[in-house]
Amino acid sequence: MNGQRTDRKGEPHTLGSFLRERREALRAEDPRFSLRKVAGRVGIEPSYLSKVERDIGSPPAEDTLVRLAGELEVEPDVVLALAGKISSDLREAIRRRPLLFGELIRELKDAPDRAVLRVVREVRDGEW
Amino acid sequence: MIELRDDALEFSFPEVHPEARLRVAFQRTLRIPDDDRDHPLPPGLGRFPLRHVDDAGERVPAEWLRRGGVMLPMYQSEAMWLNFTARSDYPFALKVAAGKVNAATGEAWVDGLHRGPQDYLVVPGQPWLDGYAVEKGVIRQFVAMPLGEGYTAEEQIFGTDEHGGVQLLACPMKREVYERKVAGPARRFEDQMSAMNRVCAPVQSSRSDMGLAPGGRMRQEIYEDEWELEDWDQRRGSRCFVQLTNSLVWRAITGEEPPTTPPTAREYTKAGLPWFDYYAADREALEGSEVLAKLRSVLEEGKRRGRSPLPENEPVDGERVVPIRERRRDRAGVREGSW
Repeated sequence: MNGQRTDRKGEPHTLGSFLRERREALRAEDPRFSLRKVAGRVGIEPSYLSKVERDIGSPPAEDTLVRLAGELEVEPDVVLALAGKISSDLREAIRRRPLLFGELIRELKDAPDRAVLRVVREVRDGEW
Repeated sequence: MIELRDDALEFSFPEVHPEARLRVAFQRTLRIPDDDRDHPLPPGLGRFPLRHVDDAGERVPAEWLRRGGVMLPMYQSEAMWLNFTARSDYPFALKVAAGKVNAATGEAWVDGLHRGPQDYLVVPGQPWLDGYAVEKGVIRQFVAMPLGEGYTAEEQIFGTDEHGGVQLLACPMKREVYERKVAGPARRFEDQMSAMNRVCAPVQSSRSDMGLAPGGRMRQEIYEDEWELEDWDQRRGSRCFVQLTNSLVWRAITGEEPPTTPPTAREYTKAGLPWFDYYAADREALEGSEVLAKLRSVLEEGKRRGRSPLPENEPVDGERVVPIRERRRDRAGVREGSW
């Protein structure tokens, strides 16, 4: 069980520990974030969520992970990445232009955050 | 920086704080009756589509490209409200204008934040804005009208039809203030409501750029800033011009169909669907603007001009009103779809 290991920033390494810590932090302020209630809202069995939180078995499917991310107010891409998955819209973007996106990701993989953010398309402000 | 995501503007300030993120969405809604009643809050019927003006290239006037920003489609006499969500409760000061008329004060647009009168809103705390603040606790609904016909607040106050659209300026709280005053006693606010959609016939109009005019009266408070003016990081504010495009030309500009028009307030009410009232018990409401109080509603202006600008204006009664209370440190079930 490696769920307690954290990286240098104190962030969890595994999907299960990340989800559990997030849910428990929310539950400390709001009882609606109990294991049973979150599982109910996401549409899965509490025992299954418990296994996911303990990193037992394969990670859930993309739609379940996205619902869990929404419930726990975290970025779906972060949860998908921890589960070793890529969201279907990103897969489709890469599939349509594999060479371009392959090159882009390799170019940016070690770039600092600010450099990566500059690639994001911003809404342009003009004169008004 | 500002990005377009899921038909919403995402203001983010990673250089200030990773949590400094504000979402502004433009909600389709019912036009409330333009009569003497103060109506409750109408529902959100889904977001207006938002597109980069730059993507329209030569299909839009050069003026639009000069202003930059984004555009959305509205039918003549269609209403809208603005929905604000600070994703991690990071506080923002947000200035909102339509036709460069400040929606809180009625004053002409100026960059920067001011008090006396306060010319901006504070998010979280102010979950939405439905119109021009005409009295304490009362707004007149934002209703789209073609520029050049005299209905918009811009034309009534300044006598020009130069700008139209909606203008936004978002300033995050300074990082050190956030860490000192907010990050400990965190607040949470989230809004949700199911979306719906109906079909009606669009109304003809002459110009492709629209402005917002004052419609019917609605109970809505704009809240006083609880923080200090110097708590806001005004050096790092981001602003955006939102061009309102007549839905009838949206397809020609973007190649996409505009949304259908919403149901009438009467149809919606007869179907037993909910209206809303919002309470934030421990917040102080701002006084309304004297300038905005003098505006003539679309119906009044139409009468003055001998026209019937609204396709229908039937009264509603028997509204089912759902109260919504702000719950600090809690999640309120509210008016718009999830994110």
